[in-house]
Amino acid sequence: MNLEDFKLLYVLSCIGLGLIILSPTLAVVVKLPSGERFSELWILGPSHMAEDYPFNVSANKLYKVYLGISNHMDGLEYYRVYVKFRNQTDPLPDAVNGVPSDLEPLLEYRVFLKHNEDWEREIHFSFDFDIEGNICSVSKLVIDGYALDVDKVTGWDEEKGGFHFQLFFELWLYNASVPNFRFDDRFVWIWLNMTSL
Amino acid sequence: MVKRKSFVCFMFILMFFWFAHVCFAVDKAAVDGALIDAESDLVSAYVVVGEAEKAGANVSELLVKLRFAGTLLAQAYNTNRTGDYDKAYSFAINCSESVDGTADEALGLKLEAEKAYSGRLFMTGAVSTVALSVLFVLSLFGWRFWKNRYYKRVLEMKPKVERAE
Repeated sequence: MNLEDFKLLYVLSCIGLGLIILSPTLAVVVKLPSGERFSELWILGPSHMAEDYPFNVSANKLYKVYLGISNHMDGLEYYRVYVKFRNQTDPLPDAVNGVPSDLEPLLEYRVFLKHNEDWEREIHFSFDFDIEGNICSVSKLVIDGYALDVDKVTGWDEEKGGFHFQLFFELWLYNASVPNFRFDDRFVWIWLNMTSL
Repeated sequence: MVKRKSFVCFMFILMFFWFAHVCFAVDKAAVDGALIDAESDLVSAYVVVGEAEKAGANVSELLVKLRFAGTLLAQAYNTNRTGDYDKAYSFAINCSESVDGTADEALGLKLEAEKAYSGRLFMTGAVSTVALSVLFVLSLFGWRFWKNRYYKRVLEMKPKVERAE
């Protein structure tokens, strides 16, 4: 090895050592970019699994599902979940354009979550409805102890066979720069078939 | 006569309760106002707690308060939807009260966290600067040492010239 090669090796070693010495300061100053930022919203059946969701519903009988949120937004977030109820002609949220459903919320939950934290709760609900011929009218939804007038009507679904309604949950996230809640383009639902009185 | 007096007394009590109910009942406008205030209080607290958390402060206790207030606010909106304005108003007021002072506490924690961060940055910066200076000086001496040693070894390898006899 000649002197020039040795000099280069020596300088590189010194720079390497210098970077090792600087690394604690760099760790304090440099913030590495975090991964993808997103929120999760899920709904599970009464056995706490993604199965056995209530479908064939009787009047005034209590049903249970689990609703959950998970925060992967790299910070403290403020969530609002709207509970909405629709018949087959009412609008659903537009997942492509990120537009929530026009329907008035029946109930809401407010949740604060730190990064990588989860929230989950049992949702109990029952319905009061009437079936007359080919028409089913849902007059009341009792959810988590709140008795709410819904007044939804649907006709007999010839194709699928049943009186179908949908209970769905929209996730909203507080945006401090707006400042207001914005729809997070996430919603989950269960189909319900009002069967017997 | 006694019967008449009792009847008047009964009617008076009935009227009293009715007036009391009318006077102290909460109307929709009052509930809406309380809900707006509660929402604003909660959001203000949340924004500062979020900033404190970003600055590295431990906001666990404040988060408990936020969660409690959030539950109250949701209950306020939910009872308002059922038309129970008294309860809705009460929940909204409780929500505002439960986050009272939270923003100030969070601001204090944020300032502390920022101070701690500055201190840590200064300390590691100072230690790194001293260590880099020492490395620089030592590397110069080191280079001289290795260079001399290199020359010495090269000179030792120089072929010796002996006088021919």
